Amino acid sequence: MTNNKTINLEIDGRFFQADEGMTILEVARREGIEIPTLCQHDALEPVGACRLCLVEITHPNWKGWKGLVTSCLYPIEEGLQVTTNNPEIHTARKTLLDLLLARCPEATYIQKCAAEYGITATSFKKREEETTCILCGLCVRVCAAKGCNAIGATGRGITKGIAVPFRQPPPDCIGCASCAHICPTDTIKYTDTEDLRKIWGHKFKMVKCVSCGRPVMPEKQLEFEAAKAGLDAKYLTTCPQCSQDQTLATVQSSFQSKTVPGGSLEVAR
Amino acid sequence: MRIATVQSLKVAAKKARSERESIKTEVLVCAGTGCLANGSLAVVESLERSICSRKLTAELKLGLKTTGCHGFCEKGPLVVIQPKGIFYKGVKPKDVKEIIEKTLISGEVIERLLYRDPNTKERIEEYTEIPFYSRQLRIALRNIGKIDPGSIDDYIAVGGYAGLATALTEMTPEEVIDSITKSGLRGRGGGGFPAGRKWKTCRNAPAETRYVLCNADEGDPGAFMDRSICEGDPHAVIEGMVIGAWAVGANSGSIYVREEYPLAVKHLQLAIDQAREKGFLGDDILGSGFSYDVHIARGGGAFVCGESSALMKSVAGEVGEPRAKYIHSVIRGLHDQPTVLNNVETWANVPWIINEGAEKFATLGTGKSTGTKAFSLVGKVKNTGLVEVPMGITLREIIFEIGGGIIGDRPFKAVQTGGPSGGCLPEDKLDLPVDFDTLTEAGSMMGSGGMIVMDDRTCMVDTARYFLEFLVDESCGKCIPCREGVHQLHCILEDICAGEGQPGDIEKIESLSDVIVSASLCALGKSAPNPILSTLRYFRNEYEAHINDGKCAAGVCRNLFSFEISEEACVGCGLCIKACPVDSILGEKKEVHRINGKTCTRCGACRNICAVDAIKVV
Amino acid sequence: MEKTLVITPSRCTACKTCELACSFKHVRNGALGLSRIRAFMRGEGKNVILTCFQCDEAACVKVCPVTALTRSESTGAIEVDEGRCIGCGLCSVACPFGHMNHDSAMRIAVKCDLCKGEPACATFCPTRTLEYK
Repeated sequence: MTNNKTINLEIDGRFFQADEGMTILEVARREGIEIPTLCQHDALEPVGACRLCLVEITHPNWKGWKGLVTSCLYPIEEGLQVTTNNPEIHTARKTLLDLLLARCPEATYIQKCAAEYGITATSFKKREEETTCILCGLCVRVCAAKGCNAIGATGRGITKGIAVPFRQPPPDCIGCASCAHICPTDTIKYTDTEDLRKIWGHKFKMVKCVSCGRPVMPEKQLEFEAAKAGLDAKYLTTCPQCSQDQTLATVQSSFQSKTVPGGSLEVAR
Repeated sequence: MRIATVQSLKVAAKKARSERESIKTEVLVCAGTGCLANGSLAVVESLERSICSRKLTAELKLGLKTTGCHGFCEKGPLVVIQPKGIFYKGVKPKDVKEIIEKTLISGEVIERLLYRDPNTKERIEEYTEIPFYSRQLRIALRNIGKIDPGSIDDYIAVGGYAGLATALTEMTPEEVIDSITKSGLRGRGGGGFPAGRKWKTCRNAPAETRYVLCNADEGDPGAFMDRSICEGDPHAVIEGMVIGAWAVGANSGSIYVREEYPLAVKHLQLAIDQAREKGFLGDDILGSGFSYDVHIARGGGAFVCGESSALMKSVAGEVGEPRAKYIHSVIRGLHDQPTVLNNVETWANVPWIINEGAEKFATLGTGKSTGTKAFSLVGKVKNTGLVEVPMGITLREIIFEIGGGIIGDRPFKAVQTGGPSGGCLPEDKLDLPVDFDTLTEAGSMMGSGGMIVMDDRTCMVDTARYFLEFLVDESCGKCIPCREGVHQLHCILEDICAGEGQPGDIEKIESLSDVIVSASLCALGKSAPNPILSTLRYFRNEYEAHINDGKCAAGVCRNLFSFEISEEACVGCGLCIKACPVDSILGEKKEVHRINGKTCTRCGACRNICAVDAIKVV
Repeated sequence: MEKTLVITPSRCTACKTCELACSFKHVRNGALGLSRIRAFMRGEGKNVILTCFQCDEAACVKVCPVTALTRSESTGAIEVDEGRCIGCGLCSVACPFGHMNHDSAMRIAVKCDLCKGEPACATFCPTRTLEYK
């Protein structure tokens, strides 16, 4: 709509211009200003769950009112004044990580983040049931972005969890393991063997590389990806290594057949 | 049967009124959820049978009607006989014969079924003279208890849909919005946002489609205002919504009602069907060319779904979690379109404002809080039930005059307003006027109108713990401060109540609460520490006594007190011996009893039953 | 007109300076990056350099589920938006030439971006096998 309108705003005392519709976080990151996040991913819709990206905003017209907002969600506006760190924000972030550490004392990623705020052990009561899931929801959102919507959140409050419908292997899961790859705490596990990928209770049969026989991806994923991209499935059945080997062989043979006799090969436009 | 024009609505209203007037004596039996639970349907059936068999309808020009909640739920089943307004409480089927013979035929009053004022001990004959009712001013609840919620004709007879007719034919949408703005009506669901401003923003938001929704997801423990309105006067809500839709330019909407309110769902659905049949919903309403229809969306009873953005997600079929409302839902709400969401009570006020005028509404209440507010008055108060009072009335008036004071005339300790996210106010706040801003300033809030009265046997730490437990269960779990933080607050309170509080706990509660307030995503999280913060503000000494002295003076936290029988007071009646479930009380008749502290479980049964208040907490 | 990375294999000695230059150019968190170009020693006159062709109709772009691969307007190179990439590896499988790399530590796809218009491989190539012109 009005994407081209330019907005002037102030972050940490510096003045910036950015397109209307951008969030505070996007502008800050573009300018190299660091704001910590746990649940944010550029490719996925922001949800504002982790609250680490809190910043303080105010405006000359707001009669001195200021408040904390999540920068990943807050759309920039003309004249906005943003502070990305101050004692209150620092305390909030520190407390949030302390709380997360109480929830997931064993999650190394959280230990690392908490350590940056000087926390080595939580000051709160540790959770009894062990978990490393911080409920950032990246897995659910990446699954939705892939177009599968196989997993979701169940329950609410402290008993909330990431789960599959009816605790059965989810029928919409294609075994792509994107959920596992995006998980910051490695809570979602999968195992690959030559023939099978085990994830979310499924055993997916793997497609083998037509050339070397190494597993490439689950059959169900192949079917899904080929249909989605409108490609013949055969274009997705060679492993990257074999593709490279074939390219290498092709180039070499072209030397022999002198199709490129000592000439140049233009590989980029 | 469609009422296609304003003229035919007038004709229909006249006809319905004359039918009502042909009835000389009307027996109104409350069939709200409270009275139903007390067996009012059996009373209705019995009345029906007797009246039919004795052919009294024609003879006495008698009408029998089941109505919505009269509000005095504690005394149900309630029967009111009009036009005299004779009020019978606790009516059982076996009383029916007597009611018919004495009251209906001979015009006598049955003393024993009358309400007795707990303070003056006098029996009161008429409905309007009972302090519980006489101090009330009913606008949102204006028809409840007077009409049959299952009959649209009944609603039309009392002037129903006349406000809609006025709005559609005599007012422009802008004039409707102006009128609501002038009336000063603020949202009754908790936020208290001015309704007129909300509607105006929605109307001015550029969009093709707009929605008008009703929030009937009343989730506060002990609150039942909206349920009673949905059950007792569903057409008022629908009429309000159609007027609102006309004002903002919406053509569809939903009523989000919780599945735990089966009677409300049933009555709303019936009312929607009737309104569609008559043409108050659907296309070309009253020949105006304007179309609006409404559907019922049933919620699963998650507290968080009463939050506007979570509600809209739930209506759309997504997981009911709030989103950050940096762009308000009046601009981007249901299906990302401008949406007006008001709660049941707010909508029920709208037709009245159109009918009676914004000025009249604005003169009620206080400056910034106009009109009336419905409260569900519960807890340790003599008259519990549903009350509607003008804004600005004091807490003392509500609790001691309408509510009749504390049960057993025990000392008042605190009143909790605003539901789980509200706060507890002590005795010295009793003379505060009840309005949106004053309650917020005092550290509590108006909320949707829950009001829980507590006496000296209530432990404020335990009360805070109880509300936190509710909030831990009901947090949606999306954001860390609410999900993890409120859980940790609850853990600390559990420790304190169990006698394991540590020095520094209060400071820890305060600093964690600060973060939860400033960092949570939605209003539920931001207000979750309120029960603790308000009790800390007014009852800090109780926290300190729990932590430092290991004492719970109210006798609630079982590890922190023991019971003793006062030698001076005990008359040796033996009631406590009978009441004790673990046989820990010993003593002969007419001699002072003793409690065996080793086996006593501190359940409090003895204290509750003792007639001379001899059981002491030490 | 856009510049092009031109490879003249007959000049290549497979010294692998290009790989080193690439890694140094893409240093991340103090560690050498994965090289997006590879030199294969197959004997004089037969050495092979492989790097992304920046295909007009690129399979990698087509299959990416989160549009993390886009063509740069200034260089014409297909670039990975590292913030958007979810590291699913589909582009690696889809590339018919095996030119997509995968940074397993960062869990993202890695490919030649022509160093935003100053390809280090060409700058440092001692034999002018790689030229950007």
